[in-house]
Order: sequence, then structure tokens, then C-alpha cells
Amino acid sequence: MPSRSNSEIRRCRPLLGTFVEITASGLDDAALHRAVNAAFAALERIQNLMSVHDPASELSLVNREAADRPVTVSRETFAVLLHADTLASESGGAFDYTIAPTLARWGLLPKELERKAPGSWRQVRLLSDDRVRFLRPLAVDLGGIAKGFAVDAAIEALRAQHVTAAVVNAGGDLRMVGSQPCTVHLRHPSKPQTFGQTLSLRESALATSSPCFSQRTWRGQKVSHLVNPTTSQAITGAVSVSVRAPECWLADALTKVVLNAPHVADRLLAKYDAEAFMLLV
Amino acid sequence: MPDWIHRLVAPSAIVITVGAVPCYAATYLTVEQAQKLCFPQATGFVNADVKLTPEQVKAIEKDSGTRVRLPTQKIWRANAGDKFLGWLIEDEVLGKHEFISWVLALNADGSIKQIEILDYRETYGYEIRNEKWRDQFHGKRHGAKLKLDDDIKNISGATLSCRHITDGVKRLLSLHALALK
Repeated sequence: MPSRSNSEIRRCRPLLGTFVEITASGLDDAALHRAVNAAFAALERIQNLMSVHDPASELSLVNREAADRPVTVSRETFAVLLHADTLASESGGAFDYTIAPTLARWGLLPKELERKAPGSWRQVRLLSDDRVRFLRPLAVDLGGIAKGFAVDAAIEALRAQHVTAAVVNAGGDLRMVGSQPCTVHLRHPSKPQTFGQTLSLRESALATSSPCFSQRTWRGQKVSHLVNPTTSQAITGAVSVSVRAPECWLADALTKVVLNAPHVADRLLAKYDAEAFMLLV
Repeated sequence: MPDWIHRLVAPSAIVITVGAVPCYAATYLTVEQAQKLCFPQATGFVNADVKLTPEQVKAIEKDSGTRVRLPTQKIWRANAGDKFLGWLIEDEVLGKHEFISWVLALNADGSIKQIEILDYRETYGYEIRNEKWRDQFHGKRHGAKLKLDDDIKNISGATLSCRHITDGVKRLLSLHALALK
């Protein structure tokens, strides 16, 4: 077991399309840096597997071939697909991970995904031995859940290296471990240079979704990276939803349920020991 | 406000009150710390700064498809005794709202070894005060449709995108190929 120490280190790398910041303490500096290196490696692995922007990723392979044959994926990708599928089912489709073609049409995801028809999560089959099969050509995008999952993987890597207090923050999707509470500032959805009141959290994850940061105009229509799956309309406006949950994949995905189907969200938030904070301007 | 919002937001509800916090800043590593992290086996770092000629600037811009803002680049050669381990290049990028200093570590063969952010600062306040930025609004006819991205520079959009670092990596790889080999 590495020696204990009071020092804290803080590092940041560009990953998952954003800046990932890791703060860690409780060991000596050298051990902390080794642990943070391992956490960054875990994040990078998830990025390489599940990026929809990278044609060489496992997810891109699934999108190209799963309509023709069952595609075997890694343990991690299968775990995220299972999580996504469970939440899609439990939310009656309010969380849908097959909205990629719509986002591609709006210029928010790679062009080639536009060629697929907007499908439904009901047409994805998760088979034995970590295999994935689509019942018709469609495209899966794990953007609403994989970033949170990557944060969880980074936290696991830090724990495996005996780090006792840490925060992993991937552009606003974050998770913390340790006995001390941490303060989190929420960004103002329409004035991101300012912060609202703060949250004090301990041993939990927090994720925020807001159309404010990706909103743009497409053919005279307001669009964002948040889509209501039942209407295929973008969620726009000065709204921001933050969800606190025990794990970050859950917090990440539940923000979409709250935005799309508040009537379903109540039940799911209770089930998963989560709570939502909705900010309107 | 629809009534369901009240149901979702528990008594511990957060209601945004706009604070006067103008920016966010964080310092992660000094250059010396980054050197040691990127090349733990190194016994020495030899300064190898490059001052690009206008021709080199043009060539890098053409090759990388990105703009070269500063002609001088801080660079070190990492050595372990007589053995050349690779390069460490210090750089800075200006994002939409952020100013970032960072390092790119390259292996001896020029492949990417590591990227570390040294310093991250958000700079919304600057743009608001900046006269040039404000001047964009002058001469706009009343009622003229202001289209984000086209007419207004750099105030909307994804504040946390790391695209500018990706562009910076392209630029530094071109610099390595054209001015360091």
C-alpha cells in the first residue's frame, strides 16, 4: 500500500471532446500521478471504444455492420448498451440512444450517420456473449451516457490505486469519492460565464444537460444535441437539468429523461436514489 | 412555469441567482512538472526553441489547415544520458471563451506521447469589454437578424469543447515535420 500524504494533485487532459479534470489526494505525489495516469488511460479506452466521431471505434463498427450480422463488442461497450437499453425501456423511450441520424441531419454528428433512418431502441437486440444486432439499419450514439460511464471507469481506476479522495470532471459530468463533501457550481444555462448557487455533494455523481451549449439554427429551425425521441424535435431554450445519482452514467442518462419526460422522471429518480435540479431562466 | 417543475425540484431546490463571477481559471502543472510527467526517464531537457520563418509559418498553416498565431515556439529535447527520448512543445490556444496553455510530448519518432493542460482560463469578460467585439454590433440595422457564428464572433456555443486543442495538435505535428526534423 503506498504511503499516505496530505498533498493534492490536479490535472487536465482533452478527452471525450471536452476537458477532463482529475483531482486526487491521500497518497504521496508520485503515487497520485500514477493513479491519475491510470484514470486518464481508462477514459481514453472508453473514448476509443465508444466515440461516434471516430470511424475506427467499436461503436462505429457496430453502426456499420450490426444490421447485417451480430457484432461482438467489448465488455465495456456491452455494459453501456445494456444500461442504455434498460433506461430506454424503463423510461418508455424518453431516453433513446438511436437518435444519431437526427443529430447528423442537424450537423451535430458525422455526416455518414445521416444516411441511416431514425430508428428506435426497440430495434436493437443485445444478445449473449456480448453481441449486438440491429433489426434494421440504424445508428446508435452513446453520447448521452458514455461520458458518464467513462467518469465511473476513471473513478474505479483511481480506487484500484488506493486513492481515497478524488473528483473526476468531464466537462460538467462528474463524480467524487472521499469522506469530505465537495462544492459544485452550476453554470448559468444562458450566461455560461456566470454561476448560480452551489451544491455540496459527497460520494456521488452529478451530470448536467442543457441545450444552451449546443443550440444552433438548421434550416430556420432551432436545434440542439438534445432530442425528444417521441417527437424528433430538438429541445431548445434556456433550460438546464442537473441530476445527482450514485453513479455518473446514471446521472448523465437521467438528465435526458428529466428533459424529455418529467412525468416518468419522478419514478425513475426515486428508483435510482437520484434527484434532479431544473434551472430555468 | 409548468407545474411539474415544482414536483421535481425538492425543498433543496436550486434556483439560479446570477453571481458576478466573471470567469473560471485553473492551474494544473508547471512546465517542469509536465516535463517530468511526460518523460519520467529523462535526465535532462535541452532548450530547442524555434523561431519560424514566414515561409515556415505559411507551410505549417497549409499543411495543418490551422493558423499559426505565434512564430516562436518553446521546445525542449528530452534526453536520458546520450539517448534522445523525444520533444516537449509548449503551446497556447485561444478557444471561444478560453485561454489554454498546454504541452504536447512527442516520442523520438514524432508520434504523440502525451498531452497535458498546464493552465485553463475562461475569458468571457474580456470579450464583453473588448471594443472590437462590441463594434460588431455597430452598423447593424435595427431588426437585422443577427445570426450566431456568422455575425457575432465567439460568444455562443459549447463552452467546454476541446476542438481548439485538436487543431493545436495538428499544427504542432506539422511544425515537427517541417521545422524540427
